[in-house]
Amino acid sequence: MGAGLSEIVFEGVTRRFSLPKGGEFLAIDHIDLRVEEKEFVAIVGPSGCGKTTLMRMAAGLDFPTEGRVLVGGAEVRGPGPERAVVFQQFALLPWKTVRENIGFGLMCKATPKAEADAAIAHYVSLMGLSGHEDSFPHQLSGGMQQRVAIARAYVMQPAALLMDEPFGALDAQTRIVMQEELVRLARRNPRTVIFITHAVDEAIYLADRVVVMGRKPGRIIETIDIRPLRAAGTWEALPIEEVMDTPDFTHMRSRIWKLLKAREQERPASP
Amino acid sequence: MTKRHNRNFLGPAGTSLSRGEFWTLTIAGFTLFFAIWSGVAASGWLPPNLLPSPLVVWDTLARLWHQPFAGHVYAEHQLASIRRFLMGWAIAVGIGIPLGLLMGWYRILDEIVTPLFDAIRFVAPLAWVPLAALWFGTGIGGPLLIIFVGSFAPCVISAYRGARLVETRFVEAAQTLGASSRQIMAHVLIPGALPSIIAGLRVSAGLGWQSLVGSELIVVGAGLGYLMVQGQGNLNTSVVIAGMIGIGVVGFAIDVALRAVERAFNRKWGQA
Amino acid sequence: MKIIHVNGDGRFKTYEQGVGRAMTGVIPRRTLIGLATIMAALFLWWLATSGLRLLNPLRLPSPQEVWAAFSQITFGQGYGGATLGQHALHSLLLVAKGFSVAVITGVPLGLLMGWSRHAEALINPIFLLLRPIPALAWIPLAIVWFGIGDTGKIFVIWLTAFVPSVINAFTGVRGVDTVLIAAARTQGASTLQVLRHVIIPGAMPLIFTGLRLSLQASWTTLVAAELVGAFFGLGRVLNLAGQDIFPGMILVGMAAVAVCGAATTWLLGLIERRVINWRPAV
Repeated sequence: MGAGLSEIVFEGVTRRFSLPKGGEFLAIDHIDLRVEEKEFVAIVGPSGCGKTTLMRMAAGLDFPTEGRVLVGGAEVRGPGPERAVVFQQFALLPWKTVRENIGFGLMCKATPKAEADAAIAHYVSLMGLSGHEDSFPHQLSGGMQQRVAIARAYVMQPAALLMDEPFGALDAQTRIVMQEELVRLARRNPRTVIFITHAVDEAIYLADRVVVMGRKPGRIIETIDIRPLRAAGTWEALPIEEVMDTPDFTHMRSRIWKLLKAREQERPASP
Repeated sequence: MTKRHNRNFLGPAGTSLSRGEFWTLTIAGFTLFFAIWSGVAASGWLPPNLLPSPLVVWDTLARLWHQPFAGHVYAEHQLASIRRFLMGWAIAVGIGIPLGLLMGWYRILDEIVTPLFDAIRFVAPLAWVPLAALWFGTGIGGPLLIIFVGSFAPCVISAYRGARLVETRFVEAAQTLGASSRQIMAHVLIPGALPSIIAGLRVSAGLGWQSLVGSELIVVGAGLGYLMVQGQGNLNTSVVIAGMIGIGVVGFAIDVALRAVERAFNRKWGQA
Repeated sequence: MKIIHVNGDGRFKTYEQGVGRAMTGVIPRRTLIGLATIMAALFLWWLATSGLRLLNPLRLPSPQEVWAAFSQITFGQGYGGATLGQHALHSLLLVAKGFSVAVITGVPLGLLMGWSRHAEALINPIFLLLRPIPALAWIPLAIVWFGIGDTGKIFVIWLTAFVPSVINAFTGVRGVDTVLIAAARTQGASTLQVLRHVIIPGAMPLIFTGLRLSLQASWTTLVAAELVGAFFGLGRVLNLAGQDIFPGMILVGMAAVAVCGAATTWLLGLIERRVINWRPAV
């Protein structure tokens, strides 16, 4: 199988951090993971398991101490719009309007105005931001801000989308709404996605495959394919609250929780 | 008629003054000030030429407006001071802010400049006067140097802090969208540092104005400080006080103007 | 936003901004560069003045001249009627006195205004009137009232240092979280106890900021006042040196002012760290 344009591969990736007082901290230990083209992979794990670090390495915001990270067959050398990132804290530029934020990447590429305007308008309406184009981020709710962030990422037509707990800063209700929207968007506009979360529900609902990670050091415990479940239960046709009620879903959730718990209990409790 | 509950036990957060209370006390405060002033002047405890009453000062001010004192009328002295201040301050801002920004972004520059900066920072601005006299004689360079020295540090420090405190996630977001270094500087780093810079401008203007006054106490020429020194030399206290009033008014106006800029800025961009 | 490798792998460069120290061996890189810069500056200074004689020695004295002036005023016959130590001590004492009076009067007033909105409304007008007048502008008036002796200096320093102390104590009190006050009250604390155990400790960080500003302002004002007219003190040294056209001594004076200012600021920092020991270092 040849490498697709947006296939993401982690080969023997290890990440060590130097501690200020000397010595080293092993954050990620020899991880091998392949995300196929246009596959939606969710990585779940407790805080500190290195899942965010993995994503940042794919984004080019961090680099492995050992091993390689490849996107589309080429080693990652730095950040770029073909691997768009959605941050947990939104990271919208506070001094730019919604429209300017969404169009920022396009402006950097010197996209012609007509083309840029059209693209921005398309995503504004797609993400339900109509009427807010000239607002500033601080005037919007958390959910709206994250919609802007997602629009900003999508408008670049990235080969890969990297999302770092994007709904973590939202309240529970908004979170559910956003999850549904993201699924719709992802089915319409399939791309290679790495989605980081510590919410198991979210991972199972959204992803094609769920990667379960443990910490100290960060390693993959198990990788689970959700697609058979989704097809069998026709989740696509159901609203989110019913999906999360199906026995398949609840069993999967228990299974993943057990994996996480077992791994945590393998080592004496340390924060 | 709603009864307002004062929760005084919570301190200032629990207390509120009615409009009546507030204005009564405020007016009382003003009145108190002038009453004490007039009282002390009138009581004769200090000789009248040491503490003229408010009325005498007002009278003097009116006279100075039309009659030249120490070579110029009042307004001319004021303008001379303001002009000097603006020139010196503009130089400090023009050099200090870019320097501070660059120091915040480029660590090597920070490491080189900071030791020199720290060494010179503690020299009080007026301590430069003899050196300034040595270098510029009685030319305008002298006061300009003093004003520059006085207003330089806050500009650099506020720009530096502003640059350092731009949140990494904004830079990262811009990077992931494909922005070049120059684009990041223009669209992220400078706007991000702006609130700190504007706050620093206020501090710097205040210190600059103060340094201007100080330099005029010593260096010869026209200006409000010069006016005061001449008044002091003639033991003409009301002229001295008239000068102080002028200085206070201009300083206040500068502060108000910059505060308005700061507020307009915060309202538009909304970030702390 | 220059690039420094974070964990020594050297293969790539990572974006770094605002945090972290790069270490070379045992001595932090920052210190090394700092020392190097100062040495370079000193060298250039020597080069420009006596080495290559690029500058007129009247404009900028050479290091040797400065040293000669320093020796004279410290070990030799002194200057302006006393040695450097005596002048510095004189100035330091004045600053100390003025500063202390300002703090003792200013902080309580600020606390009062902070706690009581009534007091604030009453006293604020006076502040509004007097605040815009820079401290230095009071010097001529002080000279008229007190002459150029010590009292006048202390008066002006008091004026300068008073305002930041008041304002910061005021802001400090207002900044104390109301929840803490409420909690104390529910445990039966009286107003005095609330002030002592909640308000004052809570306002301390800002009070110390005010103290630092007051101290800086005190030095600035003292030097200015002494320059305008004084019998002794570092400002007097500077003034005389200017009149005598003694460039070496001018630099000595400036350096002395800097050292004293830095030393007192450092001392204040020490006190602050002892008093506010419940907060991680800022």
